[in-house]
Amino acid sequence: METIVDAQNLRKTYRRSDGPDIEAVKGVDLSIRRGEIFSLLGPNGAGKTTTISMISGLVSPTEGDAVIGGHSITKQPMAAKRLMGFVPQEIALYPELSARQNLLFFGRMYGLGGRKLSRRVDDLLAFLELHERRNDRIDTFSGGMKRRVNIAAGLLHKPQLIYMDEPTVGIDPQSRRRILDTVKQLRDEDGMTVLYTTHLMEEAQELSDRVGIMDHGEIIAMGTHAELTQQVGEEDRLEFTVSGGVADGAPARIQREVAGVTRVLYDAPEQAGAESVEPAAARLTVFARHGRTALPPIIQVLDSAGLVIQSVAVREPDLEAVFLALTGRELRD
Amino acid sequence: MRKILAIAGKELYTFFRDRNLILLSFATPLVLSTIIGLAFGGVGGGGSDSPDFAEIAVAVVNLDEGVDVQEVLGLPDQFTDVGSLPFDPADVSLPFGSSQITLAALMESGSALNFGDQIAGILLSRPPGNAGAADGAGLRFDEIECGLLGNGEGEETATFSAGGTLDDLLDAAAIEDADLARAGVDSGEYAAAVIIPPDFSRGMIPRFRLDGEGRVRAELGDPAGTVEVYGNNGSPLSARVVQSIAAGIVNQFVRVSVALGATVETSANTVLDSFDLGVVDLSNLDLSGVDLSAALASLQGLDASVLEPLFCLITPGASNISVSRRPLDALQQAPTIARVIVPIGASQAVFFALFTGVFGIHSIYEERRHWTLQRMIVSPTPRFYLLVGKVVGNLVTVLMQLLVLLAALTVIASIVIGEPTMIWGPSAGSILAVALALALCVSGMGVLLVGLARTPEQVVLFGPLINIGLAVLGGAFGFSLPVQAAQFSLIYWGVDAFTKLASGQTDIALNLLVLMAQGLALFLVGMWLFKRRLDL
Ligand SMILES: Nc1ncnc2c1ncn2[C@@H]1O[C@H](COP(=O)(O)OP(=O)(O)OP(=O)(O)O)[C@@H](O)[C@H]1O
Ligand SMILES: [Mg+2]
Repeated sequence: METIVDAQNLRKTYRRSDGPDIEAVKGVDLSIRRGEIFSLLGPNGAGKTTTISMISGLVSPTEGDAVIGGHSITKQPMAAKRLMGFVPQEIALYPELSARQNLLFFGRMYGLGGRKLSRRVDDLLAFLELHERRNDRIDTFSGGMKRRVNIAAGLLHKPQLIYMDEPTVGIDPQSRRRILDTVKQLRDEDGMTVLYTTHLMEEAQELSDRVGIMDHGEIIAMGTHAELTQQVGEEDRLEFTVSGGVADGAPARIQREVAGVTRVLYDAPEQAGAESVEPAAARLTVFARHGRTALPPIIQVLDSAGLVIQSVAVREPDLEAVFLALTGRELRD
Repeated sequence: MRKILAIAGKELYTFFRDRNLILLSFATPLVLSTIIGLAFGGVGGGGSDSPDFAEIAVAVVNLDEGVDVQEVLGLPDQFTDVGSLPFDPADVSLPFGSSQITLAALMESGSALNFGDQIAGILLSRPPGNAGAADGAGLRFDEIECGLLGNGEGEETATFSAGGTLDDLLDAAAIEDADLARAGVDSGEYAAAVIIPPDFSRGMIPRFRLDGEGRVRAELGDPAGTVEVYGNNGSPLSARVVQSIAAGIVNQFVRVSVALGATVETSANTVLDSFDLGVVDLSNLDLSGVDLSAALASLQGLDASVLEPLFCLITPGASNISVSRRPLDALQQAPTIARVIVPIGASQAVFFALFTGVFGIHSIYEERRHWTLQRMIVSPTPRFYLLVGKVVGNLVTVLMQLLVLLAALTVIASIVIGEPTMIWGPSAGSILAVALALALCVSGMGVLLVGLARTPEQVVLFGPLINIGLAVLGGAFGFSLPVQAAQFSLIYWGVDAFTKLASGQTDIALNLLVLMAQGLALFLVGMWLFKRRLDL
């Protein structure tokens, strides 16, 4: 597949006069394919914004270069910048101007003008359901509305590629839902390539075709969700509830006979009195490398042992688990 | 090119959207010019002769007790034991004029400032006595040589003329007792009495205190309202004139006081920030770990020439706020209000435009904080365009501000005179040229300042200081300095050009040349330095 962003060995060291230098990004290689949503997932201070700043020409890399659609960002910045849209982490709008005035102004920065710009601004405002408030000053907007105008300002020139730096920070779940849907819509309907950064596992998981996990200025893992989780060798977790006592042989048989199973845990049911009509439920947890392929044979074993399965759940390993495995830390703090 | 225009347009638009900014940039200079204009120019001045109300009898009562410098600085509270300071106050001296004043002298008690003396002196048209100032064993203000201030009398003095001296206008007498003065007014002996209250100086000096977060806060008193003008029912007009004169003078002091407060507040906090101690408790502050010597060295090396005129302004005996006569025949023939409002209005306009210049350019920091600057940088727009757009926007804003102020002053003067009067003279083209050259200078000053300063805080600190310095030099505070000194201020060249044009003269080529050259130089150097602000 065609590559639209190709960054090699990006490095950024902030020199400080009053302390040690900060190595914000330490040699990042990144290649983003046309038409995909690529997420950079990482905790605060991981270097996501710095990486985006370098591949958008905002700060010059201490080392390395990025090629955007065939144009080097350091050597042909204007050609490269024309291809990309930019949605900063901050609300980068003039609070004293209206939504429409802001968009018109930034549209002119992309060389748009006249009726074409005016129509584009109105279309975008309608697309983001802000048409009614278009002439109100930005500082009268709610957080979610500001976020949407902030996104619109990056879409004005219909870029092939858009960078979105934590576009859902600090807003309510409903507004966030809307923004996530918009991002998917941009890929699916407009064929846009999206580079999305977030520190929220769920967002990266939901949106992305591929994810790069960043920590301390480095990309420590990269790939599709499945690739990432398998790369760490995390197992699926199958959780069963069965009624009646489990014959002693069943757990051992599962472990022995079903391919990929590594461990079986059995919680015996509480001893409810003998006169009890309803047999108590028991919990059985099976760890397996390929949960879904292991599921049918496990069910067969339980069936043949005469057990009644009340519920089954397959828990896949998530990015949270990957981050934990790679860094020994939780993503959230 | 379209992008440059878009940026410049945005600058202009945001300026005119900001109500506070409008108030500061337009209303304040207009109100000030009008007050001063009315005070010195008179309300009825439609004729060509000297002021209509010659010789208003005024009683001046100065009860001001002055204020102790040590008390002002709050030293007794903060440093109970001077010996505990990590340096010897006697070693630290600040240059004022040709004399050096040691910090120790400044901290000794008995050094009194008396603003009442000043005002009384102005009203009485004589240099104020040094009575209250000099008897302390410490700092003797009367010994400070204000080298920049000439004797103000000779014909050489480049000063704007108020058409007549205060001496011509007022027949002022110093009275010791307030009741005696009021009685004099009641009996018709005086048209009005100006009574300066005992705590006048105290109210004038900003009080500094530490707030809960360890920040220095300046609190301003409201001295403007405290000077009493006791009028006579029999001659209300005269009393009103006296009232506006007093208000005009007091206002000049208030402005210095406000600027002083803000300046000290900012600089003190900058110093506090550099300590980075969070909450600072001065009373048991351990300064042993702090390298004060560097700070002190820089303080001693400080070029006080900017501060000096300020200091002289508030120093009894040193300043000579006189309104001297200047034989300009053409000007003399213009209506009084016009004669006064041209130089005063022009200098106020330029003074306030200087702030627009600095803070307009300073907004680049704001844009950086809000990420709108970054958003422009990631667009396919060369950085040079961003710079030019910003600066051109500022230049146009300043020009508009100047032109609007000139127009508004014309309207005000016309209303006062009673008929439409082109107070700035007949040559619209020349007026525009001067305004443009001034805008270039003013805006260039802003670019240079923001380019030079290393942090936004430095701009906020030095910007107003330099502006006030230029205003003092250029005569915008109501007293004028010898040409040799005034020439360093762009305000002098601008006001001089406007005054010439107003009086029908046309030889402003030198003024234009100086302003243009200065403006271009400021711009070139400034832009070169300012470039750095776009490197993130
Ligand atoms: N202009 C700068 N000067 C000095 N250090 C900086 C600068 N910008 C960023 N840093 C440092 O670089 C590191 C990476 O910052 P960056 O903003 O790229 O992180 P991030 O992943 O975007 O974090 P967040 O999720 O909080 O936005 C941090 O340690 C930060 O303090
Ligand atoms: Mg960030």
